[in-house]
Amino acid sequence: MPVARDSAGRQSRKLTWDKQLTRELFRRYRLEGDEDARDELITMYLNLVKYLASRFRNRGEPVDDLVQVGTIGLIKAIDRFDIDRQVEFTTYATPTIVGELKRYFRDKGWAIKVPRRLQELSFKVNQAMDVLTQQLQRSPSISEIAAHIGVTSEEVLEAMETSEAYNFVSLESDRGGDGSDTFSILEYIGKDDQLMAVVDDRTTLAAALRHLTPQEQRVLYLRFFEGLTQTEIARQLDISQMQVSRLLRKTLKVLRENIVRE
Amino acid sequence: MPADRITLTIPSRAEYAKAVRMTASALVSRTGATYDDLDDMRIAAEELFVYACDHADEESEVTIEFLIDGDDVSMSVRLPQGTRATDEDAERRAAYATFILQSVCDHYQLSSDLEGQHLKVRKRLSAESDDAGS
Repeated sequence: MPVARDSAGRQSRKLTWDKQLTRELFRRYRLEGDEDARDELITMYLNLVKYLASRFRNRGEPVDDLVQVGTIGLIKAIDRFDIDRQVEFTTYATPTIVGELKRYFRDKGWAIKVPRRLQELSFKVNQAMDVLTQQLQRSPSISEIAAHIGVTSEEVLEAMETSEAYNFVSLESDRGGDGSDTFSILEYIGKDDQLMAVVDDRTTLAAALRHLTPQEQRVLYLRFFEGLTQTEIARQLDISQMQVSRLLRKTLKVLRENIVRE
Repeated sequence: MPADRITLTIPSRAEYAKAVRMTASALVSRTGATYDDLDDMRIAAEELFVYACDHADEESEVTIEFLIDGDDVSMSVRLPQGTRATDEDAERRAAYATFILQSVCDHYQLSSDLEGQHLKVRKRLSAESDDAGS
């Protein structure tokens, strides 16, 4: 029985599992290929998943979804657990399940530590920026964005910084990341361009650019070679200004690091 | 109205780049700058600081001066003599920073005197928004 019960039969908060039954089920699954034993193990340890998933409940995702994700981690742990090792299965499974949950949050886009309040605010700022750019036909000021959402300018700035925590990879897949973009900045810059003077030769630049996606290269090109503003780039690529900002910052960082390293 | 002068002295370590960026963000936003201009200044502040860190000796400090004169914002940093940025990599990084700073600012000036180099960037903010000081 996976969940401990006290003498009155009430479910206890403390999670315990029958070690002997666990060993027996693992033996049947591993040595005899008994798939039912595997299923039983999954059911048996589902409470561990629920418990671990509940630790992430305040991060804006439905607990049911988290339990599903955690269950994937549990199944991986069951399939990989070495029954000859003198370690409790829960000790082995916990980091695997937590790892799966963390990966889920990363893939959802947000670095794990961003509080929900700031995530929501960041989305609101993003939306306000789009609406106001449309209305005003120019990039809005921070106080205009603040007034639109009903927060202070400081909170808008905080949200802008928060957006730095957003996972860049997921932005790629959001829009324009369907693989059809084959833009390469190398095709557009000549030997007299200033950036070429920085890196000495085309090979160095090509090596540094290898770390950037076509969309990132396109943003870089439009901002620094064509001299377009972020608002104009956002309009041209049909992405938000905040996304342009994030892409630019990432691009500059990657380029700075790799121009030297290559 | 006289220009506002703000100086920030901070350890010369790249991990403080975010603090510099946020300071620039907070200061420039007070002028009623557009998001575009504000983000340019954030990029400039970060590049300027990383550039200065490359030149400053380890364990030393970098002082960035912000000057806000209406819609005219400038940032400057002093790069002392005898700096550690002597290798080829540092030269590349400096050239790269220059490229970025020139792209996002209207004015870029690197001058030298007996004490060392002085790097200054300046940007005139777009006039569309007039809610300065809010």
